[in-house]
Amino acid sequence: MISRRLVEGIALFAAIGCALASAPALAQKTIKIGVLIPVSGPASYFGVQGKEGMDLALDQINRGSGVNGNHFEVKIEDSACSPLQATNTAKRMLEQFKPDVVIGEECSDASLAIAPIFEQAHVPMLNAGSATNQLTESGYKYVFRIFPNAKQQGIPLGRNAYTKLGARTAVLLYEKTNAGVDNADGFAKEFEAAGGKILARIDFGRDVNDFTPIATRIAALGKVDVLPTFGLEGQQVRLSQALAQAQVVKGGGGSGIQMGSIWLPWGYDAKAGQASVGYVRIVQFDPTEKRKVVTDFIAAFRARYGADKTPTHINAHAYDTIQLVAEAVRQGATDAESIRDRFSRIKDLELTTGKITFDASGQTVDPSVIHFVETQPDLSWKSLPW
Amino acid sequence: MPDILALVLQQTLNGVYLGCLYVLVALGLTLIYGVMNQINFAHADFVTIGAFTAFFSASRLATHVLGLPDATAYLLSIFFAMGAGALLGYLINAAVFAPLRDRGDELRPLIATIGVSVLLENGQLALFGPIPYSFDSPFTQHTLRLGKIFFSAQSLLVVVVAALAIGGLHAFMRHTYLGKALRAVSQDRETAGLMGINERYLIGLTIVIASALAGLAGALLGPVIVLTPFAGSSVIVKAFAIVIIGGFGNMEGTIIAGILVGIIEAFTVQYLGSGLIDLVVFVLLLAMLAVRPTGLIAERREENV
Repeated sequence: MISRRLVEGIALFAAIGCALASAPALAQKTIKIGVLIPVSGPASYFGVQGKEGMDLALDQINRGSGVNGNHFEVKIEDSACSPLQATNTAKRMLEQFKPDVVIGEECSDASLAIAPIFEQAHVPMLNAGSATNQLTESGYKYVFRIFPNAKQQGIPLGRNAYTKLGARTAVLLYEKTNAGVDNADGFAKEFEAAGGKILARIDFGRDVNDFTPIATRIAALGKVDVLPTFGLEGQQVRLSQALAQAQVVKGGGGSGIQMGSIWLPWGYDAKAGQASVGYVRIVQFDPTEKRKVVTDFIAAFRARYGADKTPTHINAHAYDTIQLVAEAVRQGATDAESIRDRFSRIKDLELTTGKITFDASGQTVDPSVIHFVETQPDLSWKSLPW
Repeated sequence: MPDILALVLQQTLNGVYLGCLYVLVALGLTLIYGVMNQINFAHADFVTIGAFTAFFSASRLATHVLGLPDATAYLLSIFFAMGAGALLGYLINAAVFAPLRDRGDELRPLIATIGVSVLLENGQLALFGPIPYSFDSPFTQHTLRLGKIFFSAQSLLVVVVAALAIGGLHAFMRHTYLGKALRAVSQDRETAGLMGINERYLIGLTIVIASALAGLAGALLGPVIVLTPFAGSSVIVKAFAIVIIGGFGNMEGTIIAGILVGIIEAFTVQYLGSGLIDLVVFVLLLAMLAVRPTGLIAERREENV
């Protein structure tokens, strides 16, 4: 009898022990985050800076007990800003890594290529660098974007060019990609609706190096009030310098004002030098901002990467993507479906690049921290109260 | 001066300058093909290395260590870039190309140039990172204005250096023993060997000269292009097109084609749009292949280099 009770007791004890032991195992899960960013090729500066931001966020999250006991595992693959390579990498990632959520790509053309793949696989895709409108206007249920789309950038540019700068003529300069075209279209639509005139639309490939012929053409058009410019940083530096040399823009003694969008990272003005003086542009991440989330991020960034380093919007966006996944997990998400569900319900989440609230299409809609700055003669930024 | 005349003159000058940049890149390619009958796919990376060498030697060594003024530092950096190109060309030829050539296989050295290209590109990516460098020559800052016409001192420097490089190379090939020997090798390697010419040495010399030219092109292109480890690849496709349009391996043809492509490019930007540059240049290339496959200057191998 005793022995039977003893056996029952041991069995009960063992069952409780097993239940207790298995409880945390059930609650703890590794959240798999697939990342598709350009690590090679001319756009690899996106990937390098993106990785810095993500590594910082992951360190902060994985250092303790994770989020709700969940740790994050990240796999970064090189998608090279190329639709073909991004497509192949996305398929391989789905088969081999089986991510719960995917972050990427940076370039619009590549993002458009991989969106249907993750949509079909029911894996949420979080984008933080592509501007093309199409990405969140194609009816995808699993695509989310914390980067302002081309309309959100181009429309205020066009409106303020006309109303605040008093511009009546513009020349559009943009790279020949989905993002470049969408940004230029967004500006043109608003500017023309207000009564402005587009004198010329000049597109260029990413292999153009010398912009003197383009600057010459613009100089021959006569007085141009504003020059909205949409291109990668390196080309924009050379373009600004050519426009200054041709005395088209303020930086070269002309009267035209170059305008731009979030494409340009912090540090552009120093690279372009005096040619950038008078450049007016939208910024989303401003390292001089005093919000606590921004100052904390900058302090942590400098502690990890060096006191003399200032994070760019690319660092900040990447950092925010991991924080956004963390928030979804904090709210109980544990797999692809529940992460998508939590993303769609996120409202007023404050991150370094602003407050995130997704609309039904997956596009962030709160433009609270987007503001205009103008490059000063000492190459610093002056915030414009627009 | 009427506006239209000033505009045409300005775009012509822009085109000549652009053409000189292309010629500087294409000269090395055409020299290697002319002598060795081989295409060097790694040429773009030698250009990039020249640009980085000039950048670091001008901004760090010459300015900070030697305390030279900016203009002198930049001019000195051009020689550093040529030296770096020549040294790299020598080392890669000794380690990769020469052993493969010695096996008598023509395909392997060609494929090896692709391998060397990938190696150099990724090596530079690891070393310098992908973020564009701001390489401004002091000559870029000075704009010269003649009425409505303008050009930077850098573009003048490019045209002058290109003219000197072309003249120097021409004089070397025509009036020196080594140059004549190189031409002999390009005409008939076996006969040249029978005449006591060291073919192996001369092929190595060709690669060194072509690599030095690539380094020179990189030093002059650096302040113009977006300086990243992929910088050279943005001009190499057009350089290949120029070599084909000019007549593969023909130096005079390469020079004419380079200037022609530069001018066509400038006027395409003015009247058709910069987005159509590649279309126009490659239509010209295809037309040339269809109508005159030998290139602008008819191919006569004995006169190529």
